[in-house]
Amino acid sequence: MTASILDGIVLGFQFGLLAAGLTLVYGLGGVLHLAYGQMAVISAMVVLYTLDAGVPVVPAVGIGLIAGGLLGLILDLTILRPVYRLQGEARVLLSLLLTLGVAFVVDGFLNWRYPLVGLSLHVGGGPVDLLGVPMRRGSLVASGITLASFLMLFGFLRGTALGRAVRSVIEDEEGARLVGIDPRRMLRIILVMSGLLAAIVAVTRSMVAPVTVTAGFSITVFALIVTVVGGLGSVSGALLAGIILGVVNSIAASYIGTFLSLIILLAAAALTIVLRPAGLLGVRE
Amino acid sequence: MTGRFSKATGTSVIGGAEQHPSRSMRAVLLLVASVGALLALVPLWLGSSRVMMGVAVLGLAFACYVIAFNLIFGSTGQLFLCVGALAGIGGYGGAILADTVGVPVAVAIALATVGASLTGGLLSWIAVRRSLGVIFTGIVTLIFSLTFENLLLGLGTLTGGESGFLISAGAGTFIRRQIPPYYLMLAMVLLFLIVHGMLRRSHFGWAFRALRDDEVAAELAGVNVARYRVYAAMIGAAMLGLAGATYAFTEGRISPTTFGFAQLDVTVIVMLAFGGIGALFGPVLGAATFTFLDEVLIDFGRLRLVAYGTLIIALFLWMPRGVIPTVGDLLRRRRDRHQPGSSKAPSTSGPADEPPPPAPTEQ
Repeated sequence: MTASILDGIVLGFQFGLLAAGLTLVYGLGGVLHLAYGQMAVISAMVVLYTLDAGVPVVPAVGIGLIAGGLLGLILDLTILRPVYRLQGEARVLLSLLLTLGVAFVVDGFLNWRYPLVGLSLHVGGGPVDLLGVPMRRGSLVASGITLASFLMLFGFLRGTALGRAVRSVIEDEEGARLVGIDPRRMLRIILVMSGLLAAIVAVTRSMVAPVTVTAGFSITVFALIVTVVGGLGSVSGALLAGIILGVVNSIAASYIGTFLSLIILLAAAALTIVLRPAGLLGVRE
Repeated sequence: MTGRFSKATGTSVIGGAEQHPSRSMRAVLLLVASVGALLALVPLWLGSSRVMMGVAVLGLAFACYVIAFNLIFGSTGQLFLCVGALAGIGGYGGAILADTVGVPVAVAIALATVGASLTGGLLSWIAVRRSLGVIFTGIVTLIFSLTFENLLLGLGTLTGGESGFLISAGAGTFIRRQIPPYYLMLAMVLLFLIVHGMLRRSHFGWAFRALRDDEVAAELAGVNVARYRVYAAMIGAAMLGLAGATYAFTEGRISPTTFGFAQLDVTVIVMLAFGGIGALFGPVLGAATFTFLDEVLIDFGRLRLVAYGTLIIALFLWMPRGVIPTVGDLLRRRRDRHQPGSSKAPSTSGPADEPPPPAPTEQ
């Protein structure tokens, strides 16, 4: 039992960080980013081919993170421009459809050019004892990086002027504009950050299980579910929902079986949305 | 949230040329008849090839799915991302009832249709009762789709799992021959078009146009929005179940990918977006175009997905309302230029305060 809970928490951190990127983009810009998982996959591929070129792990991961951020910037400068001209649910719908198109292009290209390729980073050393449970070193390193990223994200959003400006746009776009904050610029920053977060998730995930070229769609769907359960626009909600769903998933997987655990996960998400459409920590519009 | 949606997009997304209430039922029937006559000629062209007839039947099945999705999303604004799952309830339900339980094929199709209809109604009822917006309805129905797909894979003893379900019921009868399934599906497409056309001329259509123009005013005037939404979902889901079940019996083999989200729902959305969301004949145009394109692109294999993605992006950037409304608007503008003084298409019964035609850049 302790083992499944710990496994669930490891998974939950990653779910949470995955959802944080999506939730910020949605909360701030009203953009539902369905090519999010593909951003993670591209970053993973960049890390993989940089490693293959003989670059050591740490700089390779750094290049992967930069690639993730660049992808966010490119999306912001190209495909999302017409999206920003719209308001409300029209904006959400157009962004959803356009990024779905991007997801197809990326998936199709990667499957054609690099079929059956996957990134897995091996963290050396034997298992570490935690609360009497032997944990894989890779899981612990991954969780450490994820937690550190979360702390930096919270620090940025609450501690810096730029982060507070970002949050003010999430709360009230008009009001932020009135005090001289440019929502468009905040959006660009958030898109770059979401690319970074996707890349971090890709790297940490690859320490636990391989990240394959076909993983994009399922990453997006998981991120979407966790985002919605946690409450759109709420980073702490994303973390909470990630941990809860991660623990539910891993307990169900070890006691009932993988096939039903996925269905239980989906049912839990559907139930949360129906009972509390704003999500766990979200504020209802 | 819904109010904001109808203000921001309703007029542009769901306000195509075909939506115009001035088109009489006779005109709709005439158009349906000409589409039917045109499509009835296809077997003369392709009838000798078993493969090509299979493609044509699949294209018609997709036309059915898109009409149903157009009714649910285009006419009543409910983003149902479970088109494949509802059609799959029809297909797998019919197959299991006929093969495993031993019910006659026609009864199996009827029961499966009822099952799909009730499921669609239930989803819509939940969305209406909890007043989920467009996006949340989309996410809940997407979760339903994924659950359904996983159930198909998980309940392998009943559904055949990943390798699929071979249907023995109906083998040797006319629905497995080369040409009859085509006309069966074509009849269904025409029937669905007429049903959707009639619904739009009925109270139902008026209620939703009123809702689109001003939700609060519509509700104050006594339009029971919730009930109409649930009815629309039930009718649309019944169409999906019927088409899915019929297609399953004509094919003789179904698998989770036959009704998968990535395979079915995504294609349906692209087809409808191409034809024009809310345009009555948009689904037929979209299904025909993409069935043809799919055959042309078949040699590109994996790059087909890239082509699809590029097309989606291009479509929504430059023609966000779809082909039929855009072309309809162009034609109307040209006609108006030739008849100075009439700035609007002749409308005998349209509401007086109809919003002006939206700018083409809106979505």
